[in-house]
Amino acid sequence: MRLCSTVLLAGAAGMALSAGSPLQAQTLTLSWWGFGGDRLEEFVLAPFRDYCGCEIVIETGNNSDRLNRVQIRGGAGVDLIYLTDSFSQSGIEAGLFQPIDRSLVPNIDGLHELARNPQGEFGPAYTIGRVGIVYDSAQVAEPITSWADLWREDLRGRVSLPGITTTAGPMVVMTAGDVAGVDAFADPDAAFAQLEAILPNVVKNYNTGSEMINLFSTGEISVSMAQDFALAQLQAAVPTIVWAELEEGDIATLNTINIPVGAEEVELAHRFINFVLDPERQRILAENGVDAPVHAAVELSPEAAANWTYGERLQNLRRVDYSRLNAARPDWIERWNELFGG
Amino acid sequence: MHRLTGWALSTPATLAVVLFLILPVGATIAVTLTDPRGLLAPYEAFLNSRFRRTVLWRTMEIATVTTLAAVIIGFFTAYVVSRAPPRLKSILIILAVFPLLTGVVVRSFAWLILLGRNGLVNGTLIWLGITDTPIQMLYTQWSVILAMVYLFVPLMILVLVGVLETIPDDVIEAATSLGAPPGAVFRQVIFPLAVPGIIVGAVLVFTGAFTAYATPALLGGDRQMTMGTLLHQQAMVTLNWTSASTVAAIMVVVTVVVVLAMTRIARWLNPAAT
Repeated sequence: MRLCSTVLLAGAAGMALSAGSPLQAQTLTLSWWGFGGDRLEEFVLAPFRDYCGCEIVIETGNNSDRLNRVQIRGGAGVDLIYLTDSFSQSGIEAGLFQPIDRSLVPNIDGLHELARNPQGEFGPAYTIGRVGIVYDSAQVAEPITSWADLWREDLRGRVSLPGITTTAGPMVVMTAGDVAGVDAFADPDAAFAQLEAILPNVVKNYNTGSEMINLFSTGEISVSMAQDFALAQLQAAVPTIVWAELEEGDIATLNTINIPVGAEEVELAHRFINFVLDPERQRILAENGVDAPVHAAVELSPEAAANWTYGERLQNLRRVDYSRLNAARPDWIERWNELFGG
Repeated sequence: MHRLTGWALSTPATLAVVLFLILPVGATIAVTLTDPRGLLAPYEAFLNSRFRRTVLWRTMEIATVTTLAAVIIGFFTAYVVSRAPPRLKSILIILAVFPLLTGVVVRSFAWLILLGRNGLVNGTLIWLGITDTPIQMLYTQWSVILAMVYLFVPLMILVLVGVLETIPDDVIEAATSLGAPPGAVFRQVIFPLAVPGIIVGAVLVFTGAFTAYATPALLGGDRQMTMGTLLHQQAMVTLNWTSASTVAAIMVVVTVVVVLAMTRIARWLNPAAT
């Protein structure tokens, strides 16, 4: 009788556990770069956990690694994916993302126009950045004022370029085309011939922001083509780093946030996007060196805005036609490999 | 009955080899043989690409130099260890294999610090007055080879110590007492008896160096691309599975050919070795 009671009680306890507690938290899976993870945790993830009472799991890697993982899994595995606009365009063209229900993301209405629907019905931009040239003013005597300065002879063995599979990589080819006086999409032969001339200046190409920062901090390079998201940490590592004021202007990049077609927590994902686009959250992120704001209501002090694509800087940016770029990418990757790896 | 028992006992291992080696490798090669462009089109495309031929040749070069250096350094180190008194031998073995206790990435990363423009080597050269400005050592083929030799010498030592220990002292003493100089003792007694161990070690080092990814990625970059880093780019970045499978298939073929060649060399050096 006692044994029977014990068995019945154990069975009931087991059934209660296996049925799942009604208080079991939801889990949101985020795909993101991993750069500056401690700041993301402090200013985004921890506050959102408090807000939603949910768990958050992070999957990291660069744009192409993570997009390819989503593609391999048929659009499943993560609920949200952070990508630069060139890679989110590829994801959209591959049918990996679902349209955003804007009724669940009211903060979209307060964004600058270029951030609201950069890629139609799909994810908004949550930050805007720019690609330009950074250099160590203690190592480079003559200031850099033009994209063409990357080819200067005094920079022999001192330059690192972004790898062709990164966000800024194809912009290296476009820049080479500009220097050669051609449209790189229309005349890749001339663009890559110009790129060949830069080989003596290049030590190593980088594939992640942290790799580029390491190259500067260990003294391996003095000049790089980089995105501004890394500028704060770069200057913390090497205080003499400056962002070059280029006469041709910098190149704009938008970082987007999308929901893959196989996402499990769709409603929670929409709530997260709305959370990230909240003007107060955008202000906190900008003031703490995480991301530049795209919400029009955000006002930053000059000190806070110093390193961001904000205010007047938004007016002078060059935009990229990502449809043409994504079409040219496979050929450019092959040509790049022949040039740098051959 | 004994034969049936033998077959039964070997079945689990055979199944494991089939399921986890033969089938996956076969599936990878099958992808390359079903390309719409033609049966061997992916291989023709590979061999027609100057870049890919350069990558293959570079990888062969790195693996060959690494193997030769590991054999030379490992052999003489293992000989000293094998002839050491027992207590000292234990300490020497621990010191020799200590690097194996840390991961490949950590060990490769250490070379970034040593060989960097502001690293220990350049600092020493400048302090000694050998150079006024730092020398570019990283992101070259030699930095990759140096790190690979460092990675694989402990493995070679481990393999060779076991073999050299089995060479009886009596045989060496007999050769010496019959008037053989040290060089002749090495060439005609020690080296032939050590050939089986050298070949085993060389095979392990060559295949490891030929298929390496982390060390070439960290210390070589895309200007020193190897088969391992090319495979990663094709599979995980450009998602070109046919090209990646072609690279993998060529790596398998090259590895098998090299192992067979080394086995032939072993038989020539020591006909008793198989």
